[in-house]
Amino acid sequence: MEIIEQIKTNKLFENQTEIQKICIDKLQSNPLPNPKSELWRLSNKSKFSNLLDYSINEKDPKFDIPFLNNTQNIIRLVIGEDNKIFLKGENYSIRQLSKNILDEYIKQKISSFDQNEHWSDLLNLSLSCEKNILGLKINGSKIPPIEIFSHASSNSLTAKTLVIFVEKNCDIELLQVNLCEENSSLSQSTFLCLEENSSIFHGVVSYGENKSHLLNSLNVIQQKNSEYKLGSLHFKLDYARFEIRVKQSAGNAKTNIKGMQITKNDEQISTHTKIDFNGPNGFLDQINKSLADDKSHAIFEGSIIVPKIAQKTDASQLSRNLLLSNRAQIDTKPQLEIIADDVKCKHGATISQLNEEELFYMRTRGITLTEASKLQLSSYFQEIISFIPVSKDRWDLLDKLLHEN
Amino acid sequence: MQRKMKESDPILEVQNLFASTDNLPILKGVSLTVNPGEIHAIMGRNGCGKSTLSKIIAGHPSYSITSGDIKFSGENINSLEPEERAQSGIFLGFQYPIEIPGVSNLEFLRVSTNARRKFLNKEELDTFDFEELVKEKLELVKMDHAFLSRSVNQGFSGGEKKRNEILQMALLEPKIAILDETDSGLDIDALRIVASGIKKISNAQTGIILITHYQRLLDEIEPNYVHVMADGQIIKTGGSDLALELEKKGYEWTDNFVKET
Repeated sequence: MEIIEQIKTNKLFENQTEIQKICIDKLQSNPLPNPKSELWRLSNKSKFSNLLDYSINEKDPKFDIPFLNNTQNIIRLVIGEDNKIFLKGENYSIRQLSKNILDEYIKQKISSFDQNEHWSDLLNLSLSCEKNILGLKINGSKIPPIEIFSHASSNSLTAKTLVIFVEKNCDIELLQVNLCEENSSLSQSTFLCLEENSSIFHGVVSYGENKSHLLNSLNVIQQKNSEYKLGSLHFKLDYARFEIRVKQSAGNAKTNIKGMQITKNDEQISTHTKIDFNGPNGFLDQINKSLADDKSHAIFEGSIIVPKIAQKTDASQLSRNLLLSNRAQIDTKPQLEIIADDVKCKHGATISQLNEEELFYMRTRGITLTEASKLQLSSYFQEIISFIPVSKDRWDLLDKLLHEN
Repeated sequence: MQRKMKESDPILEVQNLFASTDNLPILKGVSLTVNPGEIHAIMGRNGCGKSTLSKIIAGHPSYSITSGDIKFSGENINSLEPEERAQSGIFLGFQYPIEIPGVSNLEFLRVSTNARRKFLNKEELDTFDFEELVKEKLELVKMDHAFLSRSVNQGFSGGEKKRNEILQMALLEPKIAILDETDSGLDIDALRIVASGIKKISNAQTGIILITHYQRLLDEIEPNYVHVMADGQIIKTGGSDLALELEKKGYEWTDNFVKET
């Protein structure tokens, strides 16, 4: 684990930023997460070690986005390549956060980081150089959809960080795409702050080529009357870990999450979510789907925290899983921690295989077994895919990718 | 397996068929021949093997044929996959049509129809041409166009599901249709619509097997033959009078037959 050795010996970078210094310092005494902790115990050690076995690529080559931008009305940004962003429309503005504000915000976040829970963020911020941290402040209305790309090139570990403040009364549609080339690792940390009455319809799509790895951490703070909708899809990654932390800082907010992970061969993809209600009248509707084939391993681990202050919380968390092979493995653990006494919370998990009777029904109509399975799987995907804010032309490509997979 | 058939050749021949599931014998020597233009009714108590016979003819993978043959248009189809049987013209109307959430009824019908058309060397239909065809067939079962945009059978009432089965039959133009308790759960009006749809689709070249418990479907569609099944066998065959006799006598006598044999 080349990176860990460099952290231990403090030989990562010659000129470290203040943020990097703080994070490396935090990691030095204890550079790896505790493998016995609930958050990390199922993580495949050898794949995790492969993720850390690359050196940092400081000269990130120019990245060609594999999707054509057919529509004028989309704002497209690539982390690490877009500097000095200032976009202004008739009713909105998107500005880059100043270095001081960004550093202050990140330092404040780091101060509350727990070593195991935020290990991915600590690593990310230890490795992310200044140009790979994109901070944006968005306000106004009628904002065009925003697409933000992160990319890891072959034979390297790349760290990208995104911070977005969505100001009061502002609605945005944001698609984040994380792409990993063959033999690469991407560490992506995202921090979203939704001010009062704002909303984000957020899509996260992550996929890679052969032997690609991803640590994807998403931290969301929701202020009062904000609404956060997330649709996510992770596939074609040898090892991926998607961590979602949502905090409704004063309650009275709505969160909808629909996520999906697809594993094949011997891939391992996990999703870990923590939804923290820190005030009354919070709402959550979450569904996570896994689809595991061959010898792969899919993991879902979710927790909902409802402290005493969070009365009248209405939360639902469901984990649905489909096993396509008898050698595949699925671990799922939805959990509730409830202290408040006047709440409506439910959770559940199902693991099943393709429905034999549905397949037979389709076959008696002349549809081949392969086609029938594809139809059944695409119906399984659809609930999640339709929740990802993606334009129609891009959706066709996503559909093709899923079918190839 | 497309073979030039003589008009008088049987469409379906089930010859001394024995079949089981999980080593449990279900069919114990069923023989049945359906010629073009014939309508057969199979009646019998629950659990006598009627539905199993229909599923085995359609190729359900949970059942295995231990001996005997199923011939369709003169060819043995024992080892054909369900989709191959369907493409060649065998249609099974389900007693409990399956709901497939997330798969649009229109797309499902189009893919099925094109699979059958491909087998018949007919041109496959694109969405627009298919919409024209399906519009015409919807009339047969008095179904609203809105059903097409919904997921297959999801949220359909019992009657709507059965009408959707007959719509599929109309689109697939099978050589033989086996309709498993198509009349169950239908009110009088829905039964008439379904029966009228079946009559319009059937012709002198097709065969129909109606599996039913009741006379009321046979009042609408008069069968040429009525077979009574008990304990995995056809124990009696007669004309449409036999169904009326069953309506009066019930099935108790079939239990005695099973005891005696």
